[in-house]
Amino acid sequence: MLRFLGRRLLVAIPVLWGVTFLTFVVINHLPGNAAQEQLGINATPQEVHQLSVQLGLDKPLLTRYVNWMGDLVTGSLGHSLTSGQSVTSILGSDLPITFELVAFSLIIALVFAVPIALMSARKPGGVFDRVAMVLSMAGLSIANYVLALILVYVFAVRLNWLPALGWAPPDKGFGTNIKYLIMPAVSVALSLLCFYARQLRADLIQQLRGEDYVTTARAKGAGSWRVLTRHAMRNSAFGLITAVALNFGTLLGVTVIIEEIFGLPGIGHELLSAINTRDVPVIQGAVFVFGLIVVLCNLIADLLYAALDPRVKYGSATN
Amino acid sequence: MAVPPTETAVPGAFDPAMVAPAPVVGGRLGRLRTIGGIWIPAFLVLAILFLCFLWPVIGPVPSPTGGSILNSNLPSFSPGHLFGTDSTGNDEWSRLLYGGRASLEVSLGVTAIGLLLGGLLGAYAGYVGGWREGVIMRVFDVLIAFPALVLAVAIAERLGPGLVHTIWALSFFSTPALARIARAATLRVREQNYIVAAGLSGTGRTRTLLRHIMPNILPELITFALLGIGIIIVLEGALSFLGLGIPPPAPSWGNMIASGQNILSAQPKFTMLPSAALFITVVSFNLLGESLRARWTAQ
Amino acid sequence: MSANGFTAGETGELPAGASTGTAATDAPLLEVSDLRVEFRQGNQVVRAVDGLNYTVPRARTVGLIGESGCGKTVSSRAIMALLPHTAHVTGSIRFEGQELVGLSERRMRAVRGSQIAMVFQDPARSLNPTVRIGPQITEAIHLHNDVPKGEAFDRAVELMELVRLPAARERFRQYPHQLSGGMRQRVMIAIALAAQPKLLIADEATTALDVTTQAQIMELLRDLQQRLGMALIMISHDLGLAATFADEVLVMYAGRGVERAPTQKLFEHVRMPYTRALLDAIPRLENPPHAPLAAVPGQPPDLAREQVGCPFSPRCPNVTDHCREHMPPFKEQEPGHLWACWHPCGLEGRR
Repeated sequence: MLRFLGRRLLVAIPVLWGVTFLTFVVINHLPGNAAQEQLGINATPQEVHQLSVQLGLDKPLLTRYVNWMGDLVTGSLGHSLTSGQSVTSILGSDLPITFELVAFSLIIALVFAVPIALMSARKPGGVFDRVAMVLSMAGLSIANYVLALILVYVFAVRLNWLPALGWAPPDKGFGTNIKYLIMPAVSVALSLLCFYARQLRADLIQQLRGEDYVTTARAKGAGSWRVLTRHAMRNSAFGLITAVALNFGTLLGVTVIIEEIFGLPGIGHELLSAINTRDVPVIQGAVFVFGLIVVLCNLIADLLYAALDPRVKYGSATN
Repeated sequence: MAVPPTETAVPGAFDPAMVAPAPVVGGRLGRLRTIGGIWIPAFLVLAILFLCFLWPVIGPVPSPTGGSILNSNLPSFSPGHLFGTDSTGNDEWSRLLYGGRASLEVSLGVTAIGLLLGGLLGAYAGYVGGWREGVIMRVFDVLIAFPALVLAVAIAERLGPGLVHTIWALSFFSTPALARIARAATLRVREQNYIVAAGLSGTGRTRTLLRHIMPNILPELITFALLGIGIIIVLEGALSFLGLGIPPPAPSWGNMIASGQNILSAQPKFTMLPSAALFITVVSFNLLGESLRARWTAQ
Repeated sequence: MSANGFTAGETGELPAGASTGTAATDAPLLEVSDLRVEFRQGNQVVRAVDGLNYTVPRARTVGLIGESGCGKTVSSRAIMALLPHTAHVTGSIRFEGQELVGLSERRMRAVRGSQIAMVFQDPARSLNPTVRIGPQITEAIHLHNDVPKGEAFDRAVELMELVRLPAARERFRQYPHQLSGGMRQRVMIAIALAAQPKLLIADEATTALDVTTQAQIMELLRDLQQRLGMALIMISHDLGLAATFADEVLVMYAGRGVERAPTQKLFEHVRMPYTRALLDAIPRLENPPHAPLAAVPGQPPDLAREQVGCPFSPRCPNVTDHCREHMPPFKEQEPGHLWACWHPCGLEGRR
């Protein structure tokens, strides 16, 4: 197991490095002068030049990259151009909110996807299955921002049950916290739910049809429900973990637009505000953090895999 | 049983399997009927393409911009304006069609670049192997590590709004994704006898790649590309929604949805119409891609 | 032995004599009559089993022998109703007088495991890799008996010892991949025996094992069968195996039985040219080195096509035109010996 993990880490490190490099290059190498954008059109060339030097923009790209990496390794992401605050502290306060949104969405998606998949796999082609497949195809095809607006229209504007915007941290009352989070989470969760359900269903059906241990279980006298939940599900869980890991990046990315619509002060929202104010260090920091989280999460998924798969965990024993 | 992911550091954020494997509708073994078969989605897709690209040229569709303010906010079913007009007097139906055209232009452009660049590079990587493959795939791994929207937003911000810039921004997402597919498919095809035979008979590598490998992985690539179009349309919509894609007054479904947001309670149609159009288009492409995938995996 | 019911004599009759050919005098445990299994896919119909007849007496071993694709596995799955949805089963399968064909799934579940059990070919794939060995055995117990966990554990350990699995208590918590092929197969047997079935079907149970382990497992099965008074259907393509372990042998070809007799009688007087060919194909130590293997020439017939005449015609050394047009009936031609052939071996000159 350690060998497996070691190998995965080895592959992840160059990717992590690549993430830092790409972030820097995209933000700093593409056209546009950060100093100019900061000061606006009316700034005089001297002012622009002064700010450029101050920001270190006159130095060559590689030097700036090395400097940035140097700071990065010590844990510093620079300072916001608009507020002067350290980027790390800004992002640090944003992260828990995004994290809560992501976690909540995942939970909703999985809590519904698993039973749906199980019931579909029990009788493929049956009534439940057909309905589920049609609905899930529709659910997959709805853009999450569209769903968000529809939810806002129905629940906030028309029914006035939920607030359309805003955020309250959990320590101010869990109920209020949920009220602000539920529509955003559902907007994100729906397409995830549909995807997980289909993925799991296909995997389960494949297990039921193709795997010998299923025949053994049936030969013992086990009914289809038992075979599904006690046998097939255990094996299909791995495919589900992979699916969650595969999509984690996308899941994280949609927070950008969802946080914007619902006014949630998370990293996605921060990124967009920084874009509006041309706050390059913050943009850079946020983009980097996104990439970092994705790589880390995939590593964690691999860890989980190794921990759960008995064959990796115990290795094959000799007699 | 599922195999632990070992090849790449970051399994694809865009996994065309995101639309998930084709459901076995109709429980009999060996009969994979997907919803609507292959012809209904194909028809829908063609109809949408026709409406957005051809109909405005040949039919009585007014310009989507430059409307007169005297005509503003006409209700639906007004004479000459099927869906009414918006606050500056532009015909809503026309905006829908032209908006669709913009969104589709972006999606098709992004997909084309992805197929060309990603497909070729991925196939090349899979074919030659060795350190070249490693380098190419690591680069793509890095790109995939960024959530699509984040990367697109960052790039679009740098480049500024506009159709072409949006295409560039989103291509950073489609290229690695399709490269992955191309590489995996190439690895499978590479071991086929006729490829080995071609190599033995002295066919050059480029020639083998182009004339033997590419045609064989193309069906698979196209199937996944179709499944991905839906995702890209939604992404473009997101970019335009955020003001980073296609800038107003030129319509795009995304910016139409965004501008309708402010008057959501009073006049929901300005958001709902482009949303519905988006939905129908995505569903059609998804169904088509799915039917093709079912047909292709059944072999 | 144990207090939990695994003493010989408590689970059915003590076995009669071994392979001398005297059948038990009671009514047969299993009666298969005119069994037909068809697979329908689109327009194609594949007749995997096309009129199979045999009986299994209590506490005896019947060997079901044939090439791949002759329908032996499909017929055994039909007994347990473990075939996919595309299969259509007609005919009769009577177990202790009860008709199994068409039985509801719920009642069939009560039969599986507790009355009839099965051991499959590939133990590597037949055990759930994500579940420990112990629970896989106790599951078989719990499905048919309401037994507290502690007692189930004891029974499982007892079963593992019965199948001669070393270090049973430790093995309980191990995973299948931690065991060797032979040990896994023993676990499969333990699972099959857990609910004390009256009939055990061993479907190519030793084919995936090496020769030494094969012998061990077959010995174990024979021993268990005698101790527990269980009937055993031994499915294999290995005629030699049948010769050693079966009381009665049924040779199948193209979905139907073609020769059946008590083992000794069969090998003394082989009648079917096909059986003869199978026998000749077994490599013998007495043959000189590099003697060519007498493989059976030709291919088994395409089961999707309607059979006219004897299905073995294309490959038979005794074939005549009559064979190609008329299907020989499978019937008792000598006492205790059935076959389906117009020109059986050793009887040339008759007919």
